Amino acid sequence: MSGDRVGIIGIGQSEFCSRRDDASYPELVREGVVRAMQDANLDFDAIEAVVYSLSPDAMIGIGNAERLGVDAVGGRNKPFLRINNGGATGISAVAAAYYHVASGMFDVVLTAGADKIGECGDSQTILNKIWDPSYERPLPLGTINMLAMSAVRYMQRYGMTEEDMARVTVKNRRHASLNPKAHLRRIVSIEDVLASRLISWPIKLMDCCPQSSGGAAMVLASEKFIRGNHLDAVWITGVGHSAETYWMGDRMGNNPTAEHADAYALGRSFEKSYRMAGVTDPARQVHVAELYAPFSNTEFHSIDAARLVSRPGESVARLRDGEFDIGGKIPVNPSGGTLCTNAIAVTAMARVAEVALQVWGRAGEHQVEGARLGIASGNGGDHQIFGTMVIEA
Amino acid sequence: MELLERQEVWNITYHHALGETASWFYTRIRDEAAIYGRRCSKTGRVLVPPRSFSDETLLPTTDWVKVGPGGRIEAFTMVYEKFNNLPDPPYAFGYVLLDGADTALGGYFKGIDLTDPQAAAAKLKIGTRVVATFAPERKGEMLDFWFELAAYNCVHEVAEG
Amino acid sequence: MGMRVQPAVIGCTIRPVIAARDRSLEEMIYDTAQLALADAGITIEDVDGIVVAANDQFDGRSISVMMASGPVGGVDRDIMSTPSASEHAFILGALRVATGQFRTQLVVSWSPTETSSMAEAQRLGTDPYFHRGLPLDELSAHALQASAVERAEPRARAAAEAVAEKNRAHGRAAWPNPPVQTQPGPLRWPIMPTMTTAPVTGSVAMVLAAPDFIAERGLRDVAWLQGMGWATEPSFLGDRDLTSAPALAAAARQAYATAGITDPASAFDLAEVTDATPYAELLAYEALSLCPRVDWQAQATDGSLARGGRLPVNLSGGVLTWNPVFCTGLIRVAEVANQIRGRAGAHQLPNVRRGLAHAGSGFAMQYQAAMVLGREARA
Repeated sequence: MSGDRVGIIGIGQSEFCSRRDDASYPELVREGVVRAMQDANLDFDAIEAVVYSLSPDAMIGIGNAERLGVDAVGGRNKPFLRINNGGATGISAVAAAYYHVASGMFDVVLTAGADKIGECGDSQTILNKIWDPSYERPLPLGTINMLAMSAVRYMQRYGMTEEDMARVTVKNRRHASLNPKAHLRRIVSIEDVLASRLISWPIKLMDCCPQSSGGAAMVLASEKFIRGNHLDAVWITGVGHSAETYWMGDRMGNNPTAEHADAYALGRSFEKSYRMAGVTDPARQVHVAELYAPFSNTEFHSIDAARLVSRPGESVARLRDGEFDIGGKIPVNPSGGTLCTNAIAVTAMARVAEVALQVWGRAGEHQVEGARLGIASGNGGDHQIFGTMVIEA
Repeated sequence: MELLERQEVWNITYHHALGETASWFYTRIRDEAAIYGRRCSKTGRVLVPPRSFSDETLLPTTDWVKVGPGGRIEAFTMVYEKFNNLPDPPYAFGYVLLDGADTALGGYFKGIDLTDPQAAAAKLKIGTRVVATFAPERKGEMLDFWFELAAYNCVHEVAEG
Repeated sequence: MGMRVQPAVIGCTIRPVIAARDRSLEEMIYDTAQLALADAGITIEDVDGIVVAANDQFDGRSISVMMASGPVGGVDRDIMSTPSASEHAFILGALRVATGQFRTQLVVSWSPTETSSMAEAQRLGTDPYFHRGLPLDELSAHALQASAVERAEPRARAAAEAVAEKNRAHGRAAWPNPPVQTQPGPLRWPIMPTMTTAPVTGSVAMVLAAPDFIAERGLRDVAWLQGMGWATEPSFLGDRDLTSAPALAAAARQAYATAGITDPASAFDLAEVTDATPYAELLAYEALSLCPRVDWQAQATDGSLARGGRLPVNLSGGVLTWNPVFCTGLIRVAEVANQIRGRAGAHQLPNVRRGLAHAGSGFAMQYQAAMVLGREARA
């Protein structure tokens, strides 16, 4: 469908870190936006609509905080709406911006957001409140222990060990050391990870993502605009979302449709974006992947769901073989991924941004040689809503 | 450059309607010390905790089915970190497939020594038999019950020497 | 610029007040989604994607889409969430159909009243940097705007009272059985208790479809989206011109351009305007080019904008009649769609060919949207 495609023409990210006492929340949004606009070499007048990326308001401490971000994105008197799909918000926001352009209504759309997690002392409390008050709220559920339970099941089904989990952290930290935008960049060893503080068995401190602050933004444009203005761009060729049951207990027990060890709906989401992009053999066609994995163990089921291996569980052995390292067969999270940087409201947008930079040849020191087709994913809710994309040069 | 801060606390109270299904479930816990699930009309699957409709078929559920008190562990974790507004560690919780149910129910695991995580993980491994145990005084809420290892497991270990 | 594929509304359910407490919020959402599918004559299997909209603070859930995704049929389906406004769910749903990649979209919104204080929940929407210390909830923001409007237009108060009276009369006629019973809003000078009503629990859902789906199923009672525009005001009230609604004017321009509307005052058989307060309705008249401010008082009192007049506004009775806060914007769109589809019940206007829906939300109508719907695909 050449001539009708949607491209990415500008990308901006903060250098993510814990606390940004020097900036208010709107100022962090502005930071990402200004960088993306400079990258696209556009004035704000050129932006025809804005999609705002923001997950739980409570993290920022401002109800409907997107309203505060209107000025930061230059949104006055422009079409503006906000997306919240939990942790998947960033990729869902890019998808919504994609739909704005693909609808035929707009040629140039900005998507942006930021998070300031370091200011919220109770992120697990807030994330406990995503569970229903009818039944599960009284349980001490949070995103960490929810995914610890996924790890427990993945261990039982596929033989993953704590050492296998540690290997993911070691890989991603090494990648992050090459990425100036990443938050945690210190190289660590398997022994370091295994010796780190136990949070929720088997997840230890170094198996966890940090809480990051910073902004991100992207500018999308129609192929018509891109060709007409002789711009450089990379293309979004596949987009999809899918969700599984909210009930974690339904992902266990007798013949569940979605198994909690795996990432069923992520697989279904990839089916959609692969179909749209014409990717029939991901293990051969995908050159680079930025898969949302805030905990080390979750990178495995994400790789499985993206079908970068031939069967679930195989990702463990392939990672051990170095297949997913920069320099390996299909580098996964060459930016360091969510495990090394997690500003929740934009972390899934960063996945898209990083893949875009890769296939664009602009990823600097963490560039994957010859990457021309990449995939990105975002997870939201209690491991429930998944957005995916295919980006190509 | 002097950088200032401001503290804000969110404090909102809610009164959530539980609906007939959840309400009945809790009255059985309170008055009968029993756990019930609901059967999906299309697939026959017994959903626990019970809901008035299945999110897979979008059809109403039909009859009530008593489940447990025995069951098997489907997932678990032991938490060793303190989080604001969550209990003091260590504690163990997870999901149990009660006998007669098709989906697993969340709850605390009590009565297990958590000082050595690896040993505790071995005790709680997937498939371990547990029993839903009820508080003598109950209010009609999820914390009225928890799971303890079934006597069967202990006997089994003793037999293995 | 126009849409690649033109969506139409093929099903609606409006549940403007839900007083019973026998269903949990999730069960209420399930009921709403089921009703909309039934009204459209389709099943969930026909739905290609879903967009929901709710406010986390009103719901008491940190990510409102999570638990709601099951009830709306989101399991194994493409679902997204726009918590900025209920009307934004319609907008995103329409855009998705317009891409040609989705043949249908289910759009669902809800607004419960389970929080002990809606005002408290709304106050959390102010920034902590400058405004959190002020008693600024949505009604207070509307009051600030109303006082600015009164200063700029001395006849605004009389016009506002007439608008409220009109909507009240429409509401009585629209919902005879059972009759409307709501609590008046508080006094927030210059907004009188007779000008607003207390929040109620409500919900609304719509089904959108593409022309090929409609043709395939032989669907007749549909309302075509002829034009759509939306825009936002800046963040701080102090940065805005509160005496007018520039964002709405921008949104209206976009909608009218696509729909080919050159004389809005005479182009529509009816309109539904989000009357968060009667002053908001007056400002919308102006920004939508339905009635300039010099004529506000005259037209609000001479019946031009009432049933039987040249352009009946809010035959549903508006927000003054039912106030399910978060849903009020999307309900206006649904009301117009129902009028075109002949499904507006007691407040049906005969022979509606084209209608205008205005959706506004946030502090002093920060978010504005306008939709032109019609019985024909083209004007």
